[in-house]
Parts: sequence; structure tokens; C-alpha cells
Amino acid sequence: MRREIYAYKCRKCGQLHYPYRMVCKGCRNNDHNEFDPEPLPRTGTLVTYTDLYALPAVFEVPKLCLGIVELPNGLRVTGQLRVEEPRVGMKVRGEVEVVRRETYDEYYGMVFYEG
Amino acid sequence: MPVDLEKILRPVDRPMAPFPAKYVTLASGDDMVIRQVGRDDIPKILPYVAPLVYVERDYYDCVAARVYAELLAYYRYRMQDEYVLVAQIDGELCAVVNGRMVDERVGMSLHTLAMRRGLRIGAHAFAAKMEYHIDILGQEEVLVVAESPIGFRRWMIEYNLEKRFEIPHELGGVPSYALTRELFERARGTLVIGRRPVPDDLMAKAEADILPPSDPPTPPEDLLAATRSKYDPTGTALMLQRWVQEGKVRG
Amino acid sequence: MRDVYVAGIGITSFTRLEYPLSEIAAYPVMMAIKDCGLREIDHLYVANMGSGRVNHQTGLASAVVDTLSLTPSGAELIENGPASGGSAVKQGYMAIASGLCDVVAVSGAERMREVNNLEATDLVATLTHPIAEYIYGVTLPSLAGMFTRLYMEKYGVTERHLAMVAVKNQRHALRNEFAHIQQEITVEGILDSPEAMTNNPYVADPLRFFDCCPVSDGGAAVILATRDVAESTGRPLVRLAGVGQASDTHCVHEREDPTDLLAVRRSAARALGMAELAPSDVDVAELHDAFTILEIVESEEAGFFPKGEGHLALERGDTTLGGTLPINVSGGLKGRGHPVGATGVAQVHEIVHQLRGEAEDRQVEGARVGFTCNFGGFGNNVVCMAFVRE
Repeated sequence: MRREIYAYKCRKCGQLHYPYRMVCKGCRNNDHNEFDPEPLPRTGTLVTYTDLYALPAVFEVPKLCLGIVELPNGLRVTGQLRVEEPRVGMKVRGEVEVVRRETYDEYYGMVFYEG
Repeated sequence: MPVDLEKILRPVDRPMAPFPAKYVTLASGDDMVIRQVGRDDIPKILPYVAPLVYVERDYYDCVAARVYAELLAYYRYRMQDEYVLVAQIDGELCAVVNGRMVDERVGMSLHTLAMRRGLRIGAHAFAAKMEYHIDILGQEEVLVVAESPIGFRRWMIEYNLEKRFEIPHELGGVPSYALTRELFERARGTLVIGRRPVPDDLMAKAEADILPPSDPPTPPEDLLAATRSKYDPTGTALMLQRWVQEGKVRG
Repeated sequence: MRDVYVAGIGITSFTRLEYPLSEIAAYPVMMAIKDCGLREIDHLYVANMGSGRVNHQTGLASAVVDTLSLTPSGAELIENGPASGGSAVKQGYMAIASGLCDVVAVSGAERMREVNNLEATDLVATLTHPIAEYIYGVTLPSLAGMFTRLYMEKYGVTERHLAMVAVKNQRHALRNEFAHIQQEITVEGILDSPEAMTNNPYVADPLRFFDCCPVSDGGAAVILATRDVAESTGRPLVRLAGVGQASDTHCVHEREDPTDLLAVRRSAARALGMAELAPSDVDVAELHDAFTILEIVESEEAGFFPKGEGHLALERGDTTLGGTLPINVSGGLKGRGHPVGATGVAQVHEIVHQLRGEAEDRQVEGARVGFTCNFGGFGNNVVCMAFVRE
């Protein structure tokens, strides 16, 4: 099953949001839940990144690479990076995978690879 | 006869290559010398370790009590193949680390006791230990445990130590982790640090005397507040009050 | 609206405290009451972030108002992340300005070291967006790291500039008996030494260990009053002349320009505008340097230096004690410590202390106008305040 992460498009004015908001930030005029989900595009450009060493206890790895990616539709996404040598401005492609495991729960999110 | 009994009770140490002293420049700009000490220096160090047995936070009490026992055992020939390294700034004792050889292949890191906080001295001292086991003694792996959460994060997580849970570590049988030669090589850049040889004047100062730590961790001063601390998970309040009553710490 | 004055101030040591949280919040109020002699408090605001989650105590303000025997006065807990302190002072201001109260006590306190550092980091990480940020392992240092990388590329800020902020603030803290970190560091030791990677390891590349503030316990309090009441105390008159607050997107990736801190810009402008002051009027400032980069950027967004030139002012020594605009003479969050709820109030404490002329060996000569910036979340909720000595 191919998992998606969704952006939300206002039914009144077409403004895209990621993540979800209850009131459209474009027209501030939509009724509750008047959004259409739209899967996020999978390719983008890396805006910035960091190698995080001081991790929450649940991650049993010494470091995590996190980044912010800009998508073609103007939205930006925060995700984990699995890239050897990240560079600001490089092209990346995203996959929806498990990003966090806590006892019995698995959380899915965007993981970006080179290309 | 006393001489024969001592032959039975005293362990026979393997020959161990000495640790070549090195020095590092800390965040404060001070130079710190890390060198090995022999049995003769232990009586000087013990009184500096003793007061830390009453500092509960970060498990200082547990670590200090065990370090005291290990140093004493080393001094009185009741521990096999142990070594002790000290870190000094201007002759002042800043950290004591120790460990021992389990056999030719495997080493066991015992403790890291830092007497000055805020300058990552424990990190330098721990790295020196790992270098000693793998590079200088030529061992293949070192068993490591941590008593405090800070130790756990700095060593187990940061260096990605391998689990050796089937081996109970001497320090209370807790599950051990291991720094293998492979992990050591991968982390060589951060584990083999410091410079050799130590400049003469720095070394002379360090060897001249082991001075008392100027700012060691101390137990909290005001007891009354602590006893009223209802949600105190460390139990500091009650233990400290009892120690004051028993005259072990000043009130 | 009536004018509001800061009549009394009090603070605890910022360090690891073995006291219950309610006492850490109450003690500085007692000190503040001693400072000004006002014993009739109409209302108490307590600023705190972690009480429910790590200290197992909800409704903290109710506990504090009772332990101080200030009942039956009203009391509220104000939680606004790291900007709790600023928000609480703002609430106190509004209570008096509106005419509802005459004398208000505002206390900020935090006891984060009751739990180990992994849990304390997680407490602060819960500020991030649960689905779009938190699950990835995003913590505040990682957001600061990503922000710093962009700032370095765009404006030429270097690791050396960040190290200079850390060295400056820790040196300032040596003159502050209440500060958490009493340790002089040098740029040589944290950047140039061959052992710098161990002395100063990366936390969230490019931010390093000494670029991040410590985890501290502590409390600070101020007593706000009307002009008449403040005058009756005989203490120097310091007026809370302007207050401004602004919010921004929750997710850092949704910010309009990822190198801007718009909430700081807007709230600073509102605070200074309300006080009818210009940034150049400010003599001393307490900015929120949870990460050294933030001091540089906030000094620009508040209007003290042109955008992208804060690091140049740092190089010139403008922001050190003795310079043209000393910033964080108390040590800031880096040197003084950062008990999350207490910080905003501690910043006010320092500014009032300076404007009264009582700061002794860290006194900014002739300080008449002070400014604080309390930065919540990662820049999505900022409270700025301006103070004038009368």
C-alpha cells in the first residue's frame, strides 16, 4: 500500500495547507472541514538541514539528519534525510516510511533521498 | 605464615604497557594533563573521592563509593590488572578514571569520576581510557556500563556501543555494552584526542603533587527545603537530613 | 489605561535546585515583597511550562498563592512555552492598566532538573507540531540548527561569531551571583583547540554544545503596581512603558522567509511603538539567547542593527558590557540559565535592576531605557517589553 502525506486545499479559495489547519489561511472564510486532501508531491529542493546529535530517548541511533524541503507547489515539508552529503539547494525525492517507533506504535512520515 | 597467605590473597598482575601521558586544551583555555598513576599516589587521591559519596545528584554517591573501593583494592593488592588514570589542571585533580583487563582480549571500563563540571572533562577522560585499552594495551573490546543517565547518553548512544547483555558487568551485574575495535576505529577522530608529549613544565606541575579539587560537587546546603519536597524522586531530602543528624555532612 | 510600574523584584539562583516547584515559584515573590515592602497583593500570575508534565503538579498558581499566604487573592498559571514569563508579566500589566488590580505579583519558575536531561529535552520538543515536526525527532536545537545554517549562508555569520556570543555571555554571567554558569570559556578552547570537537561537540550541526543554553531550575518574580503605590515604596520608579506580542506559524517550515523572525520584528515594533521609543533609544537589552544565533538575529529584528549585520556589531564589541548597546549583561539564557517559565520574568528582573542603577559591577552606565525579548516556541510566539526609568 502506497502511503501518502496530504496537503489540504481550501474548497472556497484553493489555498493549499501543510499541515492541516482548521481555518483556511487564505480566505479565513471556510466552514469547518471544507478542505480537500491532496497528496504531497514527492520531489523537491532542500532548503536547509541539520545533523542532530542530542536525540530523544526513543531513537537508538547516535545522530539523525533532519531537513526542510520545498515542494514544487510552494509548500514546504520537514522530514528526515537519508542523504550522504546534504547540500542546500539539492534535489531530493521523498518516500513515506516509518520515522519513529515508540513501544507498540509506528509513526509514518516523509523521508528524503537524493534525487 | 603471613608471607604465604599474602601469596594466595594477592592477585598476580599481567604486564601492562604504561599509558603515555597526554594533554588537552579545554573550553576554558586551560591545559589538562591526563596521566597514569601508580599505587603510591592512591592515598593522596582517596580523600578527594570520599566527600563525593554524599552527593546524590547524577549518581555521584554510587560512583564515588565504588571508585573509592576500586582505588583502595588497587592500592592494597586486592584487584587484578587494574589501572588508574588522573586528569589534572595545574596539578589540581579534575577526574579519576579506572578500568581493568578481564583477559588479553577484553578490557573492562570501571568508572569515570569528574570533579569539575561544565568543561566536558569526563568526555576527555573516558576517551583516554578507550585509547588505553584498544591502542596501547592492544585489546579487541572494552565492556562499558553507565550508572547515570548522563553517562548512558554520552557513551552508549553517542558511540553506538554494541549490546553484550549476556555478560553481567562486575558493577552490580547490569547489562554491559561493548566498544569493539571496529567501533573504536570508526570513532577514532573523537576518541584519540589530545597531544603528546606533554610539555615539560606542564608535566612537572602534574607530577609534583595531586592537589585537591577546587570546586567539587557538594550536597545541597539547605536541608529544610529538601525535606519538604514531596515529589523528590531521588530521595535527596530524607537521606541528607539523616546524614546531617549523624554528623556526616555539616548542617 | 493607567501607567504600570515595576515596584519590586526578586530572583533565586539558577542552578539545580532541590526544592519543590511551588517553593521555587514562591521564594522570589517573598524576595520581591521584601524589596518593595508591598504586602497587599491583589493578584498573582505564575509562569511555568513543565509543572504538569515533569513535576506532576497541575494548577501551580493555586499552590503558590497558598504557600505565600496570599489567599484569597486570585491566581493563574500562564503557560506560553518559553515565553511564559513575558506573557505572565503582560497579563499583570493588563490587570493594572485596566484598573482591575492595583498591585500584582508575577512569578516565573521551572524545575526541569527534577527529571533527567532526555525527558527535559522531550518536554521542550513538545512545543513543535505533533504530526509535521515532533514525530521526526525534531527538537528545538534541530530547528535552531537548520535556521543557523541558512543564516550562515545568507549573511555570512560564522561559527566564530556564535562562539563569541557564548564567550561574551558566560563572561557577563561571572558578575551575576545568581547565574547558572560560572565558568569562563575562551574562543580558543571551544573552537581552535585541537580538542575542540570534544570540548564543544555538535549538538545540531552547525550549532555546538556551547551554543546552547543549559537546563536549569530557578524562579524570578516582579511586583507591578500603579504609580501611586510604586511611589509610596520609595524605590526608584521604573515604568513598564510598552508591551507587544506577535505570533507566527506553528511549523517552522511554513514561515514566509525561513531566515526571518517576523514575530520578533512585529512584537518589538509594537512594544517600542507603545512606549513611544525608537530602537536607538534603548540603553540595555535582555534578548532570548537559548541558542547563540538567536541573540544575533533578535538584535537585528528588534531594530538595533540592520538585518544581517548583528554579527558585525558583535565583532565591534557593541553588545558587550561597556559597548554602545550591551546585550545580556546578566549572562542571558546562555550564562544565567534557562528555567523555561522563569526566563521572561528574569529578563525583566535584570532590566529593572539595571535601570534602578543597582547592578554594581555589571551596571550599564546611565541606563534609562531597557528592552526585553521573550521568544516562545521557535519564534512562533514572542513577547517584547520596553521599560523606562523615571
